[in-house]
Amino acid sequence: MRRVLTLGGIAVALGLALVWALGGFDALGRMAAEAQRAMQAPLAGAVRAVKAGEPAAWAGLLAVCFGYGVVHAAGPGHGKFVIGGYGVARRVPVLRLSVVALAASLAQAAVAVALVYAGALLLGWGRERMVGLAEGTLAVASWGAIGAIGLWLVWRGVRGVLRTGQGHHHGHHHHHHDHGAECGCGHAHGPSAAQVAEATGWRDTLALVGGVAVRPCSGALFLLILTFQMGIGAAGVAGAFAMGLGVAVVTVAVAVLAVWSREGALAGFGEARVWRALPWLEIAGGAVIAAFAAGMMGLV
Amino acid sequence: MRLALAVAGVVALAGPVAAHPHVFMETELEVIRDEAGRAVSLRVTWSYDPFFSLVLITERGLDPDADGVLTVDEEAALQGFDMNWEPGFAGDVYAFAGDAAVALSGPRNGLARYEGGRIVSSHVRDLAAPVAGLLVVKNYDPTYYTEYTIRDVAAGGCGVEIVAPDLTEAELALKAALAELPADMDVETGFPEVGAAFAQEVRVTCAAS
Repeated sequence: MRRVLTLGGIAVALGLALVWALGGFDALGRMAAEAQRAMQAPLAGAVRAVKAGEPAAWAGLLAVCFGYGVVHAAGPGHGKFVIGGYGVARRVPVLRLSVVALAASLAQAAVAVALVYAGALLLGWGRERMVGLAEGTLAVASWGAIGAIGLWLVWRGVRGVLRTGQGHHHGHHHHHHDHGAECGCGHAHGPSAAQVAEATGWRDTLALVGGVAVRPCSGALFLLILTFQMGIGAAGVAGAFAMGLGVAVVTVAVAVLAVWSREGALAGFGEARVWRALPWLEIAGGAVIAAFAAGMMGLV
Repeated sequence: MRLALAVAGVVALAGPVAAHPHVFMETELEVIRDEAGRAVSLRVTWSYDPFFSLVLITERGLDPDADGVLTVDEEAALQGFDMNWEPGFAGDVYAFAGDAAVALSGPRNGLARYEGGRIVSSHVRDLAAPVAGLLVVKNYDPTYYTEYTIRDVAAGGCGVEIVAPDLTEAELALKAALAELPADMDVETGFPEVGAAFAQEVRVTCAAS
């Protein structure tokens, strides 16, 4: 069963590539934009209902915000891109990447709350200034961080290629033995599963979460500023986190698809070949992430 | 091969890594003509989406009871709210005589109202030179932060056609632009050609008089 699932990953990868080649994601983007437009009226209505103190208005607002998050994340976005790219490039466990995706979405909501309340209460900023910061400096910072993650992957991939080149001569069957003295000294025969897990640990998690979260969503900013001005700020904060959960639905799905298609591509390689292939995957994936991020920094 | 496929998967997930829209506008256009029947001005009417309308109204301290109706004084205070264009803002409307771009004046005769929870704001822009033949108008935000949808075009008896963007062609344009980026990256202008490729196109043809 597990093997069938893994092999299914190659079909997932193929399917995604095919949809992309046929312009399907463009159509998806259009559909997402249509859905986004359709959310604007219910969102305004839900905010008014909270202001008017209608029964169940909070539940209504949270539901609309959650939906708003889902459809906005379904359109093109930086979070999906870096989570998906990282998931293909790096052999990260699916659960860990899913948790990273969820944490990044919620942290993005927290950054929006912090920006709006610091801006409004401490700095006396208006909406245009806050949104300008988010879409300008913070967008550049986010793409810069994402580009750095790409370069970091490339660098580790290059190191991995050099190391597996060495390890190859030692023979693959050694690598379960006599690791005790060597672990962490930098010239192991080949990375053990534990080493890989270590390397994809908290530093990568922080970089991914930070790179995504530093740029808050304009929609959340609008909601937070609006509700603050209407005197229903708590509803806005709750709504921003509901939007974050909605975004997480999509980014977690992307994380699962990315891991799945990577494992599908690697399935049947045999362990030795997998270890040789992984650094190249890291280099290629990292290069794609870095190149896109550099392009986006120029466009912001 | 399989690894190439996996990398293609990354690109696929990324989609066109552009911004997604946060403000949605519906546009009505009116082509104003001179005695000779030539197009001389455009009246642009924008209906802001309900959520952004609420944001704009609230931050001006208007409609404090949030019932969607402004008093006479409040409506007076709303006038001109979107008419102070920053230098370099082209008004998101572009006009062409056939293929040749025609410059547009800044906005005049701005008029705004609030109805049904939406701000409806109109203004007039003059064409730098009258257009006698085919007039092409596009309404788009190069950064795609705002999405415009043209709902209606009035051109007093002229032939009007609203052409939906050719998405395949638009995607090719986007790919070409991304491929060219390092050579011709321009932070100021972004890539309006691509925004244009994704935009609807209004084609107005008036019979010569």
